[in-house]
Amino acid sequence: MLELKDVHTYYGNIHALKGISLNVEKGEIVTLIGSNGAGKSTTLRTIQGINRPRSGTILLEGEELEKLPPHEIAIRGVAQSPEGRMIFPRMTVMENLEMGAYARKDKTGMSDDLERVFKLFPRLKERIGQKGGTLSGGEQQMLAMGRALMARPRILLLDEPSMGLSPILVELIFEIIQTINKEGTTILLVEQNALMALSIANRGYVIQTGEIVLSDTAPRLKENEMVRKSYLGIE
Amino acid sequence: MQRNIRSGVTFGIIAGFMTFIFGGWSVAIIGVLYGVGLGLSLGGRLKREAPLGMASQALPTAASAGGVLLVMSLIQNYIVAPAIGQFPADPSVVIPANLAGVLGGFIFTLITVALHGLPEKQERMGKLILLAVIVVAFPFVDTFARLNWLAQFIFALIFVILGMGLNIVVGYAGLLDLGYAAFFAIGAYTTGIFSSPQHNIYLNFWLVIWIAAAMAATFGLILGAPTLPLRGDYLAIVTLGFGEIIPVVFRNLTDVTIQDPLTCWIIPGITRLFGGQSGMACITLLSHMDVTAGERGINPIGRPYLPIIGMFTNAQPIPWYFLIIAIILLTIFLVNRLRASRLGRAWMAIREDQLAASQMGIDPVRTKLLAFAMGATFSGFAGAFYAAYISGIFPDVFDFSASILILCTVILGGMGNIYGVIVGGLVLLTADRLFLPALKDFLSGLLNHTVLPALASNPTLRAAVAQNANPILYRYLLFGLTLVIMMAVRPEGLIPSAQRRMELHEADEVPNAAASTSMKS
Ligand SMILES: Nc1ncnc2c1ncn2[C@@H]1O[C@H](COP(=O)(O)OP(=O)(O)O)[C@@H](O)[C@H]1O
Ligand SMILES: [Mg+2]
Repeated sequence: MLELKDVHTYYGNIHALKGISLNVEKGEIVTLIGSNGAGKSTTLRTIQGINRPRSGTILLEGEELEKLPPHEIAIRGVAQSPEGRMIFPRMTVMENLEMGAYARKDKTGMSDDLERVFKLFPRLKERIGQKGGTLSGGEQQMLAMGRALMARPRILLLDEPSMGLSPILVELIFEIIQTINKEGTTILLVEQNALMALSIANRGYVIQTGEIVLSDTAPRLKENEMVRKSYLGIE
Repeated sequence: MQRNIRSGVTFGIIAGFMTFIFGGWSVAIIGVLYGVGLGLSLGGRLKREAPLGMASQALPTAASAGGVLLVMSLIQNYIVAPAIGQFPADPSVVIPANLAGVLGGFIFTLITVALHGLPEKQERMGKLILLAVIVVAFPFVDTFARLNWLAQFIFALIFVILGMGLNIVVGYAGLLDLGYAAFFAIGAYTTGIFSSPQHNIYLNFWLVIWIAAAMAATFGLILGAPTLPLRGDYLAIVTLGFGEIIPVVFRNLTDVTIQDPLTCWIIPGITRLFGGQSGMACITLLSHMDVTAGERGINPIGRPYLPIIGMFTNAQPIPWYFLIIAIILLTIFLVNRLRASRLGRAWMAIREDQLAASQMGIDPVRTKLLAFAMGATFSGFAGAFYAAYISGIFPDVFDFSASILILCTVILGGMGNIYGVIVGGLVLLTADRLFLPALKDFLSGLLNHTVLPALASNPTLRAAVAQNANPILYRYLLFGLTLVIMMAVRPEGLIPSAQRRMELHEADEVPNAAASTSMKS
């Protein structure tokens, strides 16, 4: 469904992605794990068109994305819950969710989708009229994910959904990610929390300083010596 | 209760000072306006009950406002008026005028407060009807009482439209535009060019106003395009530049010659290159055409005509008043529709976070361009009306200070809220067009009859006082002061939008905003 082929991205002179190739098949959860500064967010930002790759191709069901601006990519069905959440702070929860559905051509089923989001995140329903900026960190994460789901995306990009959340809340968020996937949404999940990510993903890639150094099924990655040492903290 | 009476007294005193300045029949209109104002501010504070109960709760406040107003207007009639050299009070005016003012203030306070006791839908309806009655009655009262406010008040209404247009750009889309008067100028000049003896073109006003709006919108797109990649401060500076350039262009479009480049330069150039002589005639499209008449301006400009009313004239401002009210209503309708539309939501999203908005599928370039174009459209209407109303246009009307004045109305009223912007425009422009001139007459009357005679022994001081006691000289100082005080006391504007209020008082509402974004749920 989504395929990156030898993607190079720069910030000025900084060579952030040094030839990333990966693919995500329909219905999968694929995780991209790596330590801080490895290039995980840059990968998602490049897919979304916020950063332009200097070379390489990005295909969404065969269509090239790499020359399109972000809003065109969003219209083609790529939605992201970005790093730092980026919710609209002065809009209410409801308005944020409505913004999520902005690019959708079919306005029917909007209320079904709202219901679905509220079922996944009952917390958001309680806060429906509250301004996004006044939500707690966990609620903002839920809102960012809910807003992305409102687009009914073909592929959902999640950038460190566990960041800054308490362990209980992390459990909850990962359960919800699984539910979303079971309901039919393809997911590319970026995480530093490798243990959690590998326990729900089908497959995984390990990124180090802008390069993919390992790729395998999730259970096999969990057993991998290098992964255990560097990312799971197990000697 | 104590507090309500105090606010009644405050309103009475402010209204009283207004009558000091304006004198005569003005107390009737001032009384009614203050009654409504007091009623609105009081109605929200009182305990909610049935309309009659609300009115009886407001009785002491209304009575104290009326009482203070009566005292103040009597002081005006018998102490102030002689001191500024007006005719001594004539009982045949004083009695009915004061009665109308005091009773008007009293009754309208009670009516307005009573409206707050109705169910929500009817309350809104009631307020609208009250407003409509005042808007419709105002010009006739003005004529009847010989106040002659209407002609100047119409200028305030023109700025209300300009404020609503600029509010789209600044308030909705969050783009700081410091050169908005340029679009006003384009609308006005379009009207001038298409309906004046300048070019012997006399298009109908009802057609020209749409052409003016379309022209302004087109220039909104043209001027908007190069500024869009710029952020905040840079955008403001570029719009400032455009705002300066446009009046200069109009000033200098007095000798325009357009030649066909092919026959005039390219072909002769090539033939000359080969040593020949081109025999081809140069085709001149325009020769020394005076498009805008420079400093002299375009004058006269065609005016609207309606079947029963006939041609609109200078002598009769009432048709103009209702025309501009109609344009305002149309503008309110369109702006509200725009705000609630897909495009309106895209503006808000861009204003909040452009990057996030683009991830929602919003095209930032298109969205911002449309904000410029839509904002410009309304200044096109205003410009067309303005040109026809004064039947002439001159380049110096549209300079930087006009842009700033419009921006002030938006900030004063409450950025992002259309009703706030309307109130801001009315307050600022009636202060400028009506209050300051009246204050000037008041002060010069006071000087000539009371102060200067007392200074007769000191001619230098006397000359200095006489020269500087003109508040119109200080209008921009006064606007500046108003803005500074406003920013300190009520930065969200008179009637803020909910979002704007939240933005400015974020710190009060979320004491641990920093902590809540990073830590647990
Ligand atoms: N806006 C930027 N400007 C310059 N360098 C950046 C920028 N954003 C990220 N980088 C650099 O790119 C590299 C990858 O960053 P990022 O993709 O954010 O890492 P991760 O998400 O894996 O923590 C880092 O070295 C980081 O310093
Ligand atoms: Mg990151």
